[in-house]
Amino acid sequence: MIGPKDIFKIMSNLVVIYLAGGLILVSAYAFTSPIVAKNDANKKNQVLKSMIPGSEKVVKLGDWTISDKTAEYYKALAANDKIAGYIIETYGKGYSSNIHSMLAVDPSMRIVNITILSQAETPGLGDEVESKWFKGQFIGKNLSNMEVVKTTGTDKIQALTGATISSRAVVNSEKAALEFLEKAIQTTSSTAVDSSIQAVAGATKATATNASQAGKQ
Amino acid sequence: MMTKLRNRDLVIRGLIQENTIFRQAISLCPAIAVTSNLRNGLMMGLAVMFVQAMVNITVASIRQFIHPRIRLPIFMLVISGWVTIVDMFMSAFVPEVQAQIGLYIQLIVAFASILAGAETFASKNKPVAAFFDGIGRGAGFLIALAFISAVREILGKGSLLGMPILAGSKPLLIMVLPAGGFITAGVLMALFNFLDSKYQKKSEALAGSAE
Repeated sequence: MIGPKDIFKIMSNLVVIYLAGGLILVSAYAFTSPIVAKNDANKKNQVLKSMIPGSEKVVKLGDWTISDKTAEYYKALAANDKIAGYIIETYGKGYSSNIHSMLAVDPSMRIVNITILSQAETPGLGDEVESKWFKGQFIGKNLSNMEVVKTTGTDKIQALTGATISSRAVVNSEKAALEFLEKAIQTTSSTAVDSSIQAVAGATKATATNASQAGKQ
Repeated sequence: MMTKLRNRDLVIRGLIQENTIFRQAISLCPAIAVTSNLRNGLMMGLAVMFVQAMVNITVASIRQFIHPRIRLPIFMLVISGWVTIVDMFMSAFVPEVQAQIGLYIQLIVAFASILAGAETFASKNKPVAAFFDGIGRGAGFLIALAFISAVREILGKGSLLGMPILAGSKPLLIMVLPAGGFITAGVLMALFNFLDSKYQKKSEALAGSAE
C-alpha cells in the first residue's frame, strides 16, 4: 500500500514544510522581538512615572524575589528631592498565570496606586483583577488590610465573584511586597546611610541580621 | 471535488447553512469560554476569521504537493504557524489589543473549526475559493460569538461593550459563568434553527404557489 515512492514523498514533504515553517517563524520572531522588548520597556517606564502623582523622578533601589521571580523596587522623588513614595514590582501565582503587578505607596506605607502589568487569568472572571473596582479597593489601605474576604462592608479586600484564586494571588503578592518594602526601608533609615543604590541592594540581608539581633536582645 | 459555488455563495454558506457554532456545533469551547462580554467575543471572532482565511489560502496553495497520509500534521503546522505569526505581530504593533486577547489568540491553534475548514474545503479547492470559504466560516463564527456574548453581557453584567445599560437591576451572575454560556449557546442555537426552518417552509410555499 505504501511504497518507497510514498515514503520518499512523505519525508520530503515533512522536511520541506517544517523547514519552511521554521524559517518563517524565526524571521517573524527576529523582526518583532526587538519591537516587543522596546514596547515592554516603554510601558514599564510609563507606568513607573504615572504611579505616584507629583513624583518627578523614579530611582531604582534594588531587586527582590517573589514567586521565583526577580522583581525591582524604586523610590519616587518629588520636585524638591523629597521622597514622594515607593514603587515595587511583584508577582502572584494566580489560577492560570503569574499576575505581574506594580504597587505604589506613600512614605507612610499606604497604598496610593496599583497597576496590573500582565496576567492571563480566565477571561471574564479572573481577568477582572484589572477592573477599576477591584484595584480601587486597594487605594488608601495598608498591610493590615491585605486579606481576601467574600463579604461586603469590611476594610479588607473583597474577592471577585467566581475568581477567589486570582483575587487572593493579587492580594498575597501585594502583601508580600508591602512586608518586604517596610523592612527594606526601615533598614535604610535606621542605618542612616544615604539611600544609595548599593546600600539598599543589601537591605534584605541587613534586615535578616537586624531581626536576629533583635531576637537575641 | 472542486466546488462549483460562486464566491458570494461560499461566504453565505459559511454564515448560515454551515454556521460553525449554530449548525455544525464545533468549536463550542471558545464560544463558551470567551463570550462573557461582547468585546472579547468580537475580538476572538475577528482573529478566527483572519486565521481561517490565511490557513485556507496556504493549504489550498500547497495541496498538490502534500501526500494525503500526512496532510493533518501539515495542516496543524500551517495553523499554528499562522497563529504564532498573528500573535507576534500583534504584540509588536498593537500591544494594547494583544494584552487583552493574546490568550485567546493562542487558543485558536486548537480550534476544530479551523482544521475542519482546511480538511473539508481548502485541501480540495483553489486558493481564491478557499479564501472566500474561510471568510464565510470566520464570519459565521464571529456573528455567533457576537450574539452569544451580547446576550451574556447584557444579562450577566447589565452592560454592553462595558457601558451600563440595565442600571439598577441586579445582574444574573450565572450568565457570566460557564453554565450561562451553555444555556445561551443552546437557546440561540435553537432559535437560529427555528427561524431557519420557518424561512425554509416559507420559501417552499412560495415556490409551490408559483408553480
